Amino acid sequence: MANIAKKVSWSGRGEDRGERTPLLNGAEDGKYNRKLSGGGMFHIGRLSTVDLEEEITPEEEIVRSRLKEIPHNEKLLSLKFESLDYDNSENQLFLEEERRMSHMGFRCLEIRRWVICGLIGFFTGLIACVIDIAVEVLAGYKYFLVKQNIEKFTEHGGLSISLILWAVLNSAFVMVGAIAVAFIEPIAGGSGIPQIKCYLNGVKIPRVVRLKTLVVKVFGVICSVAGGLAVGKEGPMIHSGAVVAAGVSQGRSTSLKKDFKMFEYFRRDTEKRDFVSAGAAAGVSAAFGAPVGGVLFSLEEGASFWNQMLTWRIFFASMVSSFTLNFFLSIYNKKPGELSSPGLINFGRFDSDTVKYTLFEIPLFIIIGALGGLLGALFNLLNNWLTIFRIRYVHRPCLQVMEAMLVAAVTATVSFAMIYFSNDCQPLGQDHSEEYPLQLFCADGEYNAMATTFFNTPERSVRSLFHNPPGTYNPVTLGVFTLAYFLLAVWTYGLAVSAGVFIPSLLIGAAWGRLFGILLSVIAPNQSMWADPGKYALMGAAAQLGGIVRMTLSLTVILVEATGNVTYGFPIMLVLMTAKIVGDYFVEGLYDLHIKLQSVPFLHWEAPATSHWLTAREVMSSAVTCFNRVEKVGTIVDVLSNTSTNHNGFPVVTHTTGHDEPGKICGLILRSQLIVLLKHKVFVERASSRLIQRKLQLKDFRDAYPRFPPIQSIHVSQDERECMMDLTEFMNPTPYTVPQETSLPRVFKLFRALGLRHLVVVDNENRVMGLVTRKDLARYHMGKDGLEELHLAQM
Amino acid sequence: MGLLTKCSCVVSCLFSGWAFSFISIANCSVDPSELSVDVAVKRPVSPARGPGFLHSLSLSSAFPDDLEVNEYCMKMLHIYGERYVTYANCLVSYARPVKVCQNCYSDFISLKEIYTNISSDQLGPGNVSCHDSLMRSDRLMLLYTLFNKLDEIWISAECTQCLTGDQEALSNETVYFMASLNQSLSCFQQHQSNHSELCKACKASYKRLNELYGRMEKNQTLCIDLEDAMNVTRRLWSINYNCSMPREETVPVIAVSSFMLFLPIIFYLSSFLHSEQKKRKLIHPKRAKSSSSLMNIQDKFS
Repeated sequence: MANIAKKVSWSGRGEDRGERTPLLNGAEDGKYNRKLSGGGMFHIGRLSTVDLEEEITPEEEIVRSRLKEIPHNEKLLSLKFESLDYDNSENQLFLEEERRMSHMGFRCLEIRRWVICGLIGFFTGLIACVIDIAVEVLAGYKYFLVKQNIEKFTEHGGLSISLILWAVLNSAFVMVGAIAVAFIEPIAGGSGIPQIKCYLNGVKIPRVVRLKTLVVKVFGVICSVAGGLAVGKEGPMIHSGAVVAAGVSQGRSTSLKKDFKMFEYFRRDTEKRDFVSAGAAAGVSAAFGAPVGGVLFSLEEGASFWNQMLTWRIFFASMVSSFTLNFFLSIYNKKPGELSSPGLINFGRFDSDTVKYTLFEIPLFIIIGALGGLLGALFNLLNNWLTIFRIRYVHRPCLQVMEAMLVAAVTATVSFAMIYFSNDCQPLGQDHSEEYPLQLFCADGEYNAMATTFFNTPERSVRSLFHNPPGTYNPVTLGVFTLAYFLLAVWTYGLAVSAGVFIPSLLIGAAWGRLFGILLSVIAPNQSMWADPGKYALMGAAAQLGGIVRMTLSLTVILVEATGNVTYGFPIMLVLMTAKIVGDYFVEGLYDLHIKLQSVPFLHWEAPATSHWLTAREVMSSAVTCFNRVEKVGTIVDVLSNTSTNHNGFPVVTHTTGHDEPGKICGLILRSQLIVLLKHKVFVERASSRLIQRKLQLKDFRDAYPRFPPIQSIHVSQDERECMMDLTEFMNPTPYTVPQETSLPRVFKLFRALGLRHLVVVDNENRVMGLVTRKDLARYHMGKDGLEELHLAQM
Repeated sequence: MGLLTKCSCVVSCLFSGWAFSFISIANCSVDPSELSVDVAVKRPVSPARGPGFLHSLSLSSAFPDDLEVNEYCMKMLHIYGERYVTYANCLVSYARPVKVCQNCYSDFISLKEIYTNISSDQLGPGNVSCHDSLMRSDRLMLLYTLFNKLDEIWISAECTQCLTGDQEALSNETVYFMASLNQSLSCFQQHQSNHSELCKACKASYKRLNELYGRMEKNQTLCIDLEDAMNVTRRLWSINYNCSMPREETVPVIAVSSFMLFLPIIFYLSSFLHSEQKKRKLIHPKRAKSSSSLMNIQDKFS
């Protein structure tokens, strides 16, 4: 009974406030909001709906007029994002083409798919190689310069000048990168993983897979890593791989206006999606030297569409990418043919005698996992606040560049201050594992231990934390370093620079994990044999990364592959599991938070729980703009150019007489198709002349893909407006439809599994009642007090 | 792989020992079942060893104790022992402070010479090769192991880098380095009483030494002797005499750092106050008339 009451109350709220005055759920007036949706709910449930309406109406009016515009928050859906057309339109043209194609043709297609996957792997590996070498050279040059300067001024005084030099160098690098990102291609900012996640989910993020984005991304990563920010170059590799895949599979670049006339068959969202997932896998593979991890990453992040053949092809792309990187790096390192440095990040190998772990350590690993979950949740929470602030106040490009420069300068300052005031001196190692040892005030022949972690690229710091023998780091150094780097990393992620969060998380985790290991060996000195700090550093790194990004299977495999150590598989899995459970208790993963903050209509695995009572009738948009089978050109142009209703799919109905009477559905046509038809002027009146011209083929639609011209660019004369257009041949004659009583989870499943873009809701006589799109589904989500609805917003 | 070769070596050594007695007694009519374990690895018998082989065979019946070692080889063994002792003695006596390269290289060279002699397959007087009889007759292989350890020490000490190309003498760089080291040390000696004065007076020579060391490190002309001497000198300089750089510019560094840390606060405050907040325009989606659906739901649940 209570359950039913709740349902009624919600729908009452949904109709009255959630829909007509959706602003009540906004973030502007938190208290007011909570009062209504939380405490008020049961109360309302017990009242009759009529009472409720009377009670609310005056307030509603006020709120409505006051809150036309609201500040950005995480409970919005942006109109700017559209769905990808993963569902194939089986119109007559398609059937014709399929009939024309021979058996051999299909074979060739399959072979082409493999060739493309190989190319994707090759180019991704090449890009990884370029990034690696460029970062190494630039960072090497920078550290050499600063080191020389510090050495000079240690003797003669004036170290503050070295500090300024370091800060200026950092800022200069970061400025160049940030200008490229902020002014040329903002979508290239960040790690790119949230964007790729959205793309694989079926959301078309504008410009995300363009060549320009790739160039800016690669350039930006080099700048930001060389600029000494607390970032890594691994996350952006995934985005780069995806762009490479999208580009290669199309056989042309619209940015360069160059068409190689290759792979034309694959110019569709469906085909492109498969290649993009291969590209993402190749990116992971190149970044971590983890081909299997890459495949699993694609599976985990974009797995709503998947099959076995695809898995095998993606694995091929991953392997090729790993091999290519390997090969070119071996040439760069002047050992051609030696294929032993498989990834951008090389965690090094754990010696066989230190990899042992014992049964009683497992509770310790679980504690580390819980710690990682807590710290990860804290990281995400802080970063979430900061990102909201950035979206609201730091949105102008020049401000973004300034912010990035400031972060770079402060990073240098903090690092310098830490090194300057550190008293932790260690003797120089025999094997010269420190690339840039800084002596500063240490005795001759010793170096500053703080400098090994700060005065180095983050990857190298991670490696030294994993592998340096016990006693290399002083606990105080590690503690201070963890704190400082944690704050810097929180501050850095979300800047307008392209940079990943993998390495900083690993570094933070490795630092506190090592600290944990050192403290263990202090507590149990007689058993110090098992408390190898390197092992705990690895576990800490896994826990921290798992706590931040909340990946599970793929992260386990990536870490196992990157360390080349299967022995630690079980502990790493345990650690990641605990970290995810603990972290999820507090806040979502970092990528999910950023997806939310970008107001993307993202569909999760499942429809929100307790939503079975919602039916398609409540979910759908209506009334639907429909076209007749044979429609007047003028009507079509008017509908398409109406900016307030930016619809993309139009059900085609049998001719109706009355205006209010909805027609029976007989197909679905997309805006992009209509635009191509208008462009080629496929009008009934011109049918006679068209016989002379060639017939419109599927190729014409593919040529316009993916950037269909806007309707404004198509000129339709007054005479032509009176012409008619026959849509029968071009529409999808069998669109998916559901009856009005279908429950939300059922609709949701259809969308998620089939990758739908439009779902027509019909009544029992097949008349179009409404249309469900991604945004109609994505707006429902589980909030703190039950089902909540997100608002659509223009941005 | 290493294990495999060792195994095969041991087996073959065993086999050779076994085989002699077998052949002498059974004259090749060996029971296959007995041999099957040892004969797993076949060892080619070189024809050059033929005569020595026979010789030892003839001896074996008379002197069962030293089965196959002839007089020449015993002499070699003796020399090896003497040189070994000399060299080991030298190593130990120059262990701290490390001066092994300078003082023991001649001993090492002579030891190496005799070892090479023994281990080569060349025939000595009387057409005898001592390689098999001395080095590979038992699984312990003492001569080999003993020399190997010492050779390892020599290699890890990197002594060859301090010697001339033919290993006959100390290289010029080493001698030069020792000279400038002594210069610094004598300077330290002079000003032992006053540390602050020492830091000033010996700075030039110490710095020169440090630079020379850095250069040699790059050229890879350092051996353990020089490294150790430099370490000791550095420790003297930095810790005993406390001459390393003092941390004296704390104030400017703090000032610059706090200025840098202050900048973002200004930045965020100013952008919070001056930048206009980004607003989002809300859109009201087209929905089915609420009344009908509402009524529907009420029908359903009432």
